[in-house]
Amino acid sequence: MSLEKPEADEAVVPADDAEDIAALLGENVIGREEHVNAPGFVVRPDAVQDTLSTLKDEAGYDHLSVVTAQEYENRYESIYHLKKYDDPTQEVSVVVPADKENPVSESGAGVFTTADWHEREAYDLVGIDYEGHPDLKRILLPETWQGHPLSMDYDQDQPQVVSLSEHANPLQDDYKDAESDTMFVNIGPHHPATHGVLHLKTTLDGEQVADVESDIGYLHRSEEQMAQNGTYRYQIMPYPDRWDYISAGLLNEYAYARAAEDLADIDVPEYAQVIRTMGAEMCRIAAHMLALATFALDVNGDFTATFMYAINDREQVQNLLEDLTGQRMMFNYFRLGGVVWDLPEPREEFFSKTRDFLDQLPESVEEYHDLLTSNEIFQMRTVDTGILPPEVAKDYGATGPVARGSGVDYDLRRDDPYGYYDELDWDVVTEDGCDNYARLLVRMREVEESAKIIEQCIDLLEDWPDEERTIQANVPRTLRPDDDTEIYRAVEAAKGELGIYMRADGTDKPARFKIRSPCFSNLQTLPEMAQGEYIPDMIAALGSLDIVLGEVDR
Amino acid sequence: MSLAPAQLFPEFVANALGLPGIAGEIVGALIAAFLVGNVMLTFTGVAGPWAKRKITAAFTDRIAVNRIGPFGLLIIPAAAVQLLAKELIIPEGADRPSYDLAPIVLPASALLGFAVIPMGNLGPINVQLADPEVGFALVFAFASIASISLVMAGYASNNKYSLLGGLRAVAQNLAYEIPLIVTAMSVVVFAGTLQTSGIVAAQQEALVTLGGITIPSWYAFVNPFAFLLFLTANMAEIGRNPFDIPEAPTEIVAGYQTEYSSAYFVLFYLGEFLHIFLGGAILTMAFLGGASGPGPESIGFVWFVVKIWAFFLFTQWCRAAMPRFRIDQLIEVGWKGMLVLSFANLVLTAVLVGVTV
Repeated sequence: MSLEKPEADEAVVPADDAEDIAALLGENVIGREEHVNAPGFVVRPDAVQDTLSTLKDEAGYDHLSVVTAQEYENRYESIYHLKKYDDPTQEVSVVVPADKENPVSESGAGVFTTADWHEREAYDLVGIDYEGHPDLKRILLPETWQGHPLSMDYDQDQPQVVSLSEHANPLQDDYKDAESDTMFVNIGPHHPATHGVLHLKTTLDGEQVADVESDIGYLHRSEEQMAQNGTYRYQIMPYPDRWDYISAGLLNEYAYARAAEDLADIDVPEYAQVIRTMGAEMCRIAAHMLALATFALDVNGDFTATFMYAINDREQVQNLLEDLTGQRMMFNYFRLGGVVWDLPEPREEFFSKTRDFLDQLPESVEEYHDLLTSNEIFQMRTVDTGILPPEVAKDYGATGPVARGSGVDYDLRRDDPYGYYDELDWDVVTEDGCDNYARLLVRMREVEESAKIIEQCIDLLEDWPDEERTIQANVPRTLRPDDDTEIYRAVEAAKGELGIYMRADGTDKPARFKIRSPCFSNLQTLPEMAQGEYIPDMIAALGSLDIVLGEVDR
Repeated sequence: MSLAPAQLFPEFVANALGLPGIAGEIVGALIAAFLVGNVMLTFTGVAGPWAKRKITAAFTDRIAVNRIGPFGLLIIPAAAVQLLAKELIIPEGADRPSYDLAPIVLPASALLGFAVIPMGNLGPINVQLADPEVGFALVFAFASIASISLVMAGYASNNKYSLLGGLRAVAQNLAYEIPLIVTAMSVVVFAGTLQTSGIVAAQQEALVTLGGITIPSWYAFVNPFAFLLFLTANMAEIGRNPFDIPEAPTEIVAGYQTEYSSAYFVLFYLGEFLHIFLGGAILTMAFLGGASGPGPESIGFVWFVVKIWAFFLFTQWCRAAMPRFRIDQLIEVGWKGMLVLSFANLVLTAVLVGVTV
């Protein structure tokens, strides 16, 4: 078991496929590239829709993970990373070059709705103009921003004037004419239910939501650019902790570790894999506990006991994580090729503490079922509200508990195995309800599955022979992956598929570092769930999406 | 009615001061009302910054205020100073007279309600301010003024969340006031009087004696169904969980009180807590035998206080445990469930009383 296995698979399977796909795409293809994770097809900028719909309908690539945009010396480029929901190891990159002077490229939003936001981000940060896009405007930066920060000619010192008068009047849409009887409400940026700084431009018809548009970017911290200025070996690893900062840090670190290790061809010792897997699942429990807690807050109202109970359980996990990593939230525990240090001494104490936690967990989960899921009012509120049909979920690139709550059986831990997951005995949880209730149930059941994984890891670690406890592979002090190698790799983070695209340019820093945030794609589904529902249902739907704005905005 | 003592609290004060006639009535009434009002305000003062926190903390495995004073009790003056010292922000475009009146109307309506509540004896004093023949109807009339205050606040604030909160408050009060009063009528059918002291007096006889323990004929025991209905409608009337949707902090920020700060905010909270205690007082009077309890009659007031605080505890318990309804579900429960049940209860009671009497 190592990271090599899935890669080896891909090297065989898509190679066969690649010729078929090339034949399928015909003359749209103007060139070929080889990414570490997938074959790349360079297509004409005016044939994007055609290419994507052919791949989606005829080759079964129904999951657009992310759109990466970047600028080269001589061209702009958008990469559509496609996968299959049924088998995410089958990947294809659609590479779309655009003219340096006049970067125009056809929009893929007509084929995959999720491309809407991803292309807006690409336009916002890199500056590619997507023709035929339904509403191409900035998404992370203010509308008055000058220039595109990730483009080459961007002037960092240019003063940015974002005056109130130049900015759109937030109440401009607040009109009432003879036909419409609607009311425009700004929910957020500061609102008790937005779980961070999120602005929902909501149009209400009475108490029902006629339309909702998410305005994000309030927490944008240029995480991608910061990573591009850090060295692979040490300087990037602390950042992932800060994306999904709801103590899901190790899951995020896993994403970077996996991508960078595959890029630089690093092997991870098995012992470290087990520790990583255990730590990551602890983080998942912590993150799901918080999701449960805040969902209770949204539906029950503040001062609900469930919130504090779940926070209390999360506290236990955090104590374990603190013992393991020395930190409670910003762990910085993974290193390329392993982890930074071994389990805390005395090991027996750590094991028994972890076992104590696992022993009392079923009781806690039972209590949440008593308090929440079996409560009749709670069921009235959550069953059949915030409906997200599976086809819509796929169309929006939803992943994680959101997709699994809609019956989409997609979990990278099983489907694209990494770490030690495929050596362990656990199940992927899905629910067919497609509603707020199903998403909550998925999280609660996943907590139990995570506990199973941790328990098996503990058993393994306990019996691991002393002399074989290698926590880190021998990795050079400075990593310089080969020039022009590109990789997109994802892991199953707390909220879904957290992927990282990196392009190496022969230096010790990535030339492009793109984060595929699951929350970003999941949040995009909100209007689908909320339209026509009551405000409380929209709030519940938002809560059940379990977004972290740090990860949405990066 | 045998238990209703002749001398009400204002008369007692007048006699104690030796003031006869009209002057005595006025001075006595003012002093008595001042004392009763202050006792109730003190309760809310204790409940808001301290008891509520302590109770919620107990439900949620925390400690809550414990740094200032014994058991953190000095948080009460600290919170009072802090709240009053805050800036009073009045939003642009607020509808001034009603914006300012709303926070006064809310506590005032609740305080008025206490005028006719029989609170039992405290030593030689019978703590009841007035005992008109229609006292039971009057207390509901006073209590329902509260919804006017909420609408005023919601409308005058010039804020959409406030407006939604105000609208929700109207819809909710309409839907639950009718079952509340219809259920209360069943109590009137039992007692045969609208006079509050009479209703309490009618609950004093023994219902049954089981193994030496006498169960009094409190209407909660005589007609538990009516009691549950009344309790539920009462929770909606005072806007507590699971019916706290006029505020619904996670949905519409704080509803009608979103734009209120400083002293106005305090007044709103005083009003809300007074209404909880008034709701408890009505429940106590109508279903829990008023101020009766073990021990001599002269400590009746203590039992009254215990009962209304028990009701307060109950509201906080619901708050910690219960999810919130959605507005349409709430209205549905009100009109389709509570209303029908309350009329059924009324008919049932009338038949029972008609057969037995």
